[in-house]
Formats: sequence, structure tokens, C-alpha cells
Amino acid sequence: MSERIKLVVIGAGPGGYTAAFLAADMGMDVTIIEKETNPGGICLYRGCIPSKAFLHVAKIISEAKHAKNFGIEYGDPKIDLNKVRDWKKGIVNKLTGGLGQLAKARKIKYVQGEASFVDSKTLKVKRMDGSSEELSFDKTILATGSRPTTLPFAPKSPHIWDSTAALEMDTVPQSLLIIGGGYIGMELGTVYHELGSKISVVEMLSSLLPGADRDLADVLTKRVQGMFANIMLETRVLKMEETANGITITFAGKNGKEFKEEYNKVLISIGRKPNSENLGLENTKVKVTPRGFVEIDDQRRTNDENIYAIGDIAGDPMLAHKASHEGRVAVEAIAGHKVAFEPRAIPAVVFTDPEIAWCGLTEGEAQKSGQDIRVVKFSWGASGRALTLDRQDGLTKLIISPQTQRILGVGIVGVGAGEMIAEGVLAIEMGSVANDLKLSIHPHPTLSETMMESAEVFFGTATHIYKAKQK
Amino acid sequence: MATEFKLPEIGENISQGTVTKVLVKIGDTIKKGQNILELETDKAVVEIPSNIEGMVSEVLVQSGKVIKIGQPILRMENSPASTTASSVAPKISTTISAKPETEGVKPSAASTGSGTKPVEIKPIPNGGAVTNMALPALGENLDKGTVTKILVKTGDNVKKGQNILELETDKAVLEVPSPSEGVIKEILIQNGAVIKVSQPIFKMISNSPAVSEPAPEPSPTKPEISKATPTPRPAEEPATVHVGHMPIRKNVAAAPSVRLFARDIGIDIAQVPGTGPGGRISIDDVKKFAKTLNTSRSQTSTNNTIIQQPLPDFSKWGDFRREAMSNVRRKTAQHLSSAWNTVPHVTQCDKADITELEKLRKASSTQHRKLSITSFLIKILAIGLKKFPQFNSSVDMTTNEVIYKDYINVGVAVDTDRGLLVPVLKNVDRLSVIQISDELTAIAERARNRKTSIEELQGGTFTISNLGGIGGSFFTPIVNWPEVAILGVSRGIMEPVYIENQFVPRLMLPLSLSYDHRIIDGADGSRFIRWIVLALEGPSIVEGLSV
Repeated sequence: MSERIKLVVIGAGPGGYTAAFLAADMGMDVTIIEKETNPGGICLYRGCIPSKAFLHVAKIISEAKHAKNFGIEYGDPKIDLNKVRDWKKGIVNKLTGGLGQLAKARKIKYVQGEASFVDSKTLKVKRMDGSSEELSFDKTILATGSRPTTLPFAPKSPHIWDSTAALEMDTVPQSLLIIGGGYIGMELGTVYHELGSKISVVEMLSSLLPGADRDLADVLTKRVQGMFANIMLETRVLKMEETANGITITFAGKNGKEFKEEYNKVLISIGRKPNSENLGLENTKVKVTPRGFVEIDDQRRTNDENIYAIGDIAGDPMLAHKASHEGRVAVEAIAGHKVAFEPRAIPAVVFTDPEIAWCGLTEGEAQKSGQDIRVVKFSWGASGRALTLDRQDGLTKLIISPQTQRILGVGIVGVGAGEMIAEGVLAIEMGSVANDLKLSIHPHPTLSETMMESAEVFFGTATHIYKAKQK
Repeated sequence: MATEFKLPEIGENISQGTVTKVLVKIGDTIKKGQNILELETDKAVVEIPSNIEGMVSEVLVQSGKVIKIGQPILRMENSPASTTASSVAPKISTTISAKPETEGVKPSAASTGSGTKPVEIKPIPNGGAVTNMALPALGENLDKGTVTKILVKTGDNVKKGQNILELETDKAVLEVPSPSEGVIKEILIQNGAVIKVSQPIFKMISNSPAVSEPAPEPSPTKPEISKATPTPRPAEEPATVHVGHMPIRKNVAAAPSVRLFARDIGIDIAQVPGTGPGGRISIDDVKKFAKTLNTSRSQTSTNNTIIQQPLPDFSKWGDFRREAMSNVRRKTAQHLSSAWNTVPHVTQCDKADITELEKLRKASSTQHRKLSITSFLIKILAIGLKKFPQFNSSVDMTTNEVIYKDYINVGVAVDTDRGLLVPVLKNVDRLSVIQISDELTAIAERARNRKTSIEELQGGTFTISNLGGIGGSFFTPIVNWPEVAILGVSRGIMEPVYIENQFVPRLMLPLSLSYDHRIIDGADGSRFIRWIVLALEGPSIVEGLSV
């Protein structure tokens, strides 16, 4: 083909910029349309990266306190919030600036603005400087991401935060209520707890981190119960009223009893919704579900053959690494390669302390579908490495097919679980059987040994667990 | 009494055909043996005569539709006086109301033989009417597909929206949801059949008579009441189309690289048996599977696969149009490609001096019967093929045998308005030139009038292609496999021939003999064509060539 494919990528988050970079590397004529000055998206500007910077701060504070357990005592930390913020900003600028450089080096046209479809072949681009133009394309990849959902009755108030506001970290409030016990709420709760806020969490469902297996979530719940001021499960928020010092919340508890409480700040982290509005999708053949997701096929192609969609706008799970993988699939599909988005395991990590990570089949899913599984667990109490960290609050479990002995799912809770889960992803993607994990030598002393030992549990003989022989 | 006329058996290996003409209309009274349809099959256009009598109340097919053996063509009201079926009708309906689950009754009287095919009688069971369910619209640009699976069976109660078929289209395999609800009474299609949108696929007893279209009621006194019932038109609901390439099947134990490889070479990973621990599929497993798939494919399909290089984009150079090939054209293309690929061809040319033969031909012709050179040639071939039996044979490479035939059937290529047909003259060695001439006239006539029967197109052992009527000299005919030789005849022209020290005008006939070089050597080819030339040049010396 002598004519280069003219590709427009709308949105330059982890999905969009990965797609754009690969497309440029494959010789396509690529334009990025993005509101920010540099690629990065929510993840880099207002999501994964800044939250992880703050979680590192929280971890240092927490570990310094924890050191008292083994005879090291520090005084109370002196926190310079401006410096903490600058440090976070520095990271964000370095990463996003680097991506801008990479885009330039690849000769990608970077248009700072917003795009909407005129028809299936044309985009209208409104630049940030106010000018606008029409842009024709061969293919477009929609990667506009998602934004925090809010409560319909929430008043407009500087005391009400979404995740973006929480990551601005203007102040450390004395008391902070987190609405929604999902991963964003738990991560930010951890951060503000270590910085000195009194944290309360309210969750409609009966447990924190709905979606994660109970045994994993329980380890975290137990720890935060000792840290947070109040965890209100099966409790609903009825009313929010702005006061001089913050927000007064009316709750309805388990038994339906109503009660009121005042907080300096309230973080609403009840979920995210896809940015599929105002894109002119109605001028194309793209179909949007009632929840606002764009309908796609296994190559991320929408109902309009020239338009692809990746990342949060293309459906759950709304995770950066899912988006970037989809970006590669979409670009290769556009290039005519026979590819498909067909992961066996998309890892999920909650960067709390302890971290929770899982991939592949969960126990909950298996129960729901009635699938025959065997679950083997290895408690970190038997891990030497966990003891040296003084963090025995961990668990590694494998979900295995009893017939084929294949690893179908992995779940880990404990410090560093997010790093460890990658081995589980590889095992599942490769179609590994329990014996493969058992027979692969794992480095000692590390937490990764718990993967090997839980595989040994499957065969009934884990070195560091004694189980009386059953008759 | 309402009866149906279904497409009867029309010949070996023929399961369907395209309706080219419907010869009757609603209200016509049909007699047994009266032609109902013209049907174009792969091999010929045939006329379909009726095997029942009555008045047409509904025509269920249209020109251009592909119909299958057993598919209903007409609904008819039997005229009161005509058949026994109508007189027993009331009895049948009483039986039915007593046993509502009996949905159709086949009268034992209507058996095969003597032209009467089984006639199905359609009474109305309690609570519902018999309707044809037609294939609903499938989606944009999808108008037909191959049935890969029928998901329901006779007697099933089908709900609206329930999947009833798996259909493979150009784009994807899709599941077809039922456009209506009711009990399946009869399945009108088979696995592997190509069906079109709005073609009837099932007969159903509808649960909701309001929506459905009642079958013609038996009303011998007032037959006009039930005529002119419109064809049922079910709500057109597009079937769900899987837009993607291959359906993703979860949890196949294969590494991402292996899955990518399989997809790349067009293998559905879920079909591949894994030899690794826990059924894990390796790259080698995929390769092995692909290999067995290829061998089984090449075993089942006999050289029919024509490797098609991608066509250029013709629109770059100007406007063009695409036209679907007719069945005859498609078959010809397949057959000749296959023959060309199978048979290593050699064409040997020669000229015969037919000045004497031409005199004989003219002398033997009368006003009513004009003999042709082809008739003489066929007679000569009939004798020659006995002397050169390898030209009257076939090759079996699977057993490495040559099949010599004791019969001599000569096919004659006929140019018709819808393409090339090759009707066959049987046992020409037993016929005289005059008989050959008469038959030749008859088959050519039938071919041009689309009356050739399927049997007439089968069983040839040697073929003649005479282009003399058009002109030109010499060409390279393609052997009509499984035959091994073909004789091409061009136009005879007067030429100066040097005989006994002078040029004399002689009528010279160009001949081109193509043969299968696998079993016929060049020397044999030359000997055979020389023999033919000599026979043409000295007709009197050829035994049996008396007129």
C-alpha cells in the first residue's frame, strides 16, 4: 500500500498514546487530539501515577511508625504539603513531558483540542486556542476514557471532592468521609489516613472492595478497621448539606435508622462513567450501550467500520493496562493483522496497604457460574520473607481446574501483591498447570515463593505447611 | 382439499435449481404432466411437469429463487371431481379433530410410481394454522447463507427470538432467531443447503392465528374463497451478526503466541487438540492440526480448488460492472479448470481432404434430411475408437488403472444462449449415419430450447467440438474429463493442393485432436488423427460408412 493510513486517535491516555505510538511505528500517518498539553490522560495526570506517589508517602510514614515493633522509633513526621505536591507534580511532568517528546520523535501530529464526528469520515476539531477545523481520516480510535461519577444530590461545594480533587491535595482535612468502598476510595483513604485525617468509609454493599474475593478483601478490611475511624457497611447516604466547616451527611444504616454526621471533606468515589457524550457519535454508525459504553467487536471495531474504541469508553474493567493492550490490538487490526483482544487474565491491583491483586477466574465468579474448581491457599504466616517484613497479613491462593490442573485464577493479598500478580498472569496466559508453578524454582527468601508453595499445597505437600495425613 | 406440489427428484446429484420461469399462475387448472416450472440446474434447464391435478391456489416460488428437491412449489385446490383425495377429505378432518396432535396425514393411495408422487394433505389442526416460516432478513448485504446447523426439530415448540438455525454467510456464522412462534411441523431445508432470505425454511403450526397466515381451507363448493392467499411475510428481524472474525472461546490452554499463530493461519484454536499437560496446545499441535485439515480437505475436494489470486482494483482504470455467473457458466468454469489442471494436454493438428466425402454428403442428403459432416465424423469415430481403445478410456490415478469402455458415447459440444452444453449420443457404434444425423438434430434442438435432460448430458466417452459453423482453422480444445480425448473440427475450405504435378482445388477440413498425455503417447495421437483423416478422405473404404 503506497498510501499511508490516516489515523486519528482521540484521547491520549495510556490506551490512546500506546495506540498512536504503535501506529506511527508501523508507518501510519497519526494525529492525536487531546485536551492536555501532553499525552498521559487521567492515569498520568489525575489517576494511577499521582495516587501511587502519595501512596508511597503514606507507606513511608506507616513503616516509620511500624518500626517501633522491632525497636526503631521515629518522632512524628513533619509534613511539608507543598513539597509533597511538588514532588508529585514533578513525577507527572517528567512522565507526560517524556511522552510528548516520544510523540514528537515519532512525528505524530499533536492537536490540543476536542474532537467530534461530523460523519463516519470527518472530525471537527476545536482547538484549545478557539480555532476549529475539519479533519478527514481513514480510521479513528476513540480513547476518551472516563470520569468520576457523582451523586445526583451532592451540592456544589469545595468540601466535596472527587478523586481528581483529592489528588490535588490542597489540604489534609481533619475528618474525611469516603463514599464508596472501592479501590479508589480505599487507596485515597490510606493516603489521607497516613497524612493525619480521620477517615470514615461508607459503602452500600456488605463488604469493602466488592468484586474482589472475600478472603482477600477481609485481610485489608481487618487492617483498615484498626486504622480508620469508622467503616459503615450496608449504609446509604441520603442527604448532603454544606455547612461552615464542611458537609453534614444524613445516613441510613442497616436497620434503616437515619443518623447525621459532619465531615470537613467528603470524597465521592462511587465509580466512573465513560466519556461517550459530545463526540458526535450520533453522526456515525457507532452504537452506545445504555451505560454509555461504545459497542465493539473482538478487534475493538465499533459498529462503524472506520471507528475503533479502546479503554474505559469500550467497557469494563476500566484499567490502564487493559486500555493499552486494546490500543495495540486496534492498531494491528487496522493494519490488517489477524488479531483479537482475548486476554485470559486481566490483572487488577488495589494499591492499599496491604495490596490486593488478582487475575483470571475469581472464586466468586466460579461460584456464580458453577464451575468446578479447587482453591489452594498459602498463608504468609509461613513465609520467612513476610516475617522479616513483619507483615504476616498476607495470603496467596490459586484457583485450579481439578480435571486439567490448569491455573485458572490467582489472588494475592499482602505487601507487594501488585508486583507478584504478574507471575499469575503469565501462568494463566501460558496455560500452565499447577506442576509448572511447583517445579519452577522461586528465589529465596522472597514473597514469590508463596506462589510455588501454594502450588505445592495442591499436591498436598507444601514444605512450610504440615498437614496431618487424612485417612 | 388443499394439496401441495413439491419439487420432485430430477436426476442424480441434483438437489436444487434456480427457477427461471414459472409457467402457471393462481387460478390455473393444472393437469398431470403439465409443465409447472422451468428450472436451471447445474447441468441444464429442465421443465418440471406436475404429478397432480387441481387448481392453483398459491404459487410458493418465484423466478430467480433457488429451490430444493422436496420444497413446495404450488398449493392447489383439487377440483371436486378429479381425485379421490377430495372425497375423503371430510373423514380426514374428523380424524384430526379427534387426534389434534396428528398434524399431517399422508394418504396411502398416493404412493410413488405411475407419476404420482406422495401428496401431503394439509388439514387444519386445532388452535392453529399451518404457515411457512421464511428465512428472516439477516442484516445488511446478507441475502443468503449455508445452513450449518438446524437447531430445532419437528415437533419443537419454538418461541419468537429463539435461535433456530446456524447459518454461515460470507461474513460470519450467525444464529438466526425465529421471527414467529409455533410448533415446527416440517423442516424444509437441510444442513449444507444454501438458503436465501424469505425462502421458506419450516412449516409451522402457528400459536397465534392472528399473526399467522392460514393454510387454504378445504372448501370444495367454493374453491375461489381460499385462492389468492398472499405469501406469508414474517416480521423481518435482523439476526445477530458476530462482527468479529472468529468467535473467542474462553479458556483454551494455549499461550498467547500460540493463539496468535493459530489465528494468523486461520485455525480456530478451540478445535485444536492439545498434547501438553492439562491439554495445553503447542505451536506444533496447531501445525499438526492444520496439516491434517489440509490433507482431509484435499482428499474430499477433488481438484476443485482454484487458487484465486487477488484481483486488482479495476475502478482505477474506469467503470465496470459485476454480473453473477449463471449456473451453467459456473459449472463450466469449474469443470474446465479442473480438467485443465488434471489432464496434461497435447493437441495434434491435421487436415483432411473431404472433397469426396462432401460429394457423398450432398448426394445422401434430401430436402428433409440434410446430413452434416459431424454425423459422418461421429460414425468414423465410432469405428476408430474401437481400433484405438485408449482414446475411449478414463484414467484412475488412485488405483493406477486405465478404464477401457466397451460402449462408445460421443458428446457433441453445443453453443447455446446460456453457454456451452455437451449432450451425449449414446452407443453411436450401433447407429447409421442417418440415425446419427437425426439424433444430432434432435439433441441440438433440445439443448437450444432448454429441454435437455440430465441423462443426456452424462456418460460420454469422447467429445467432438465443431466450430466450423463460425469459421477459423485449428484450436486447442480442452479434454472433457474424465474422457481422455476430444476432436476439434474447424471450417472446411477450398485450398490448392498439389496432386500429381499440379495444384487442384480440394475441400480441406482442419482437425485438432487434444488428448491426455498421461496415457496417450504422441505417436498414438498422430496415428489416431491420421486414421481419422484417411477415413474422411476415403469414405468408401471405411467399413460401415454406408449411408
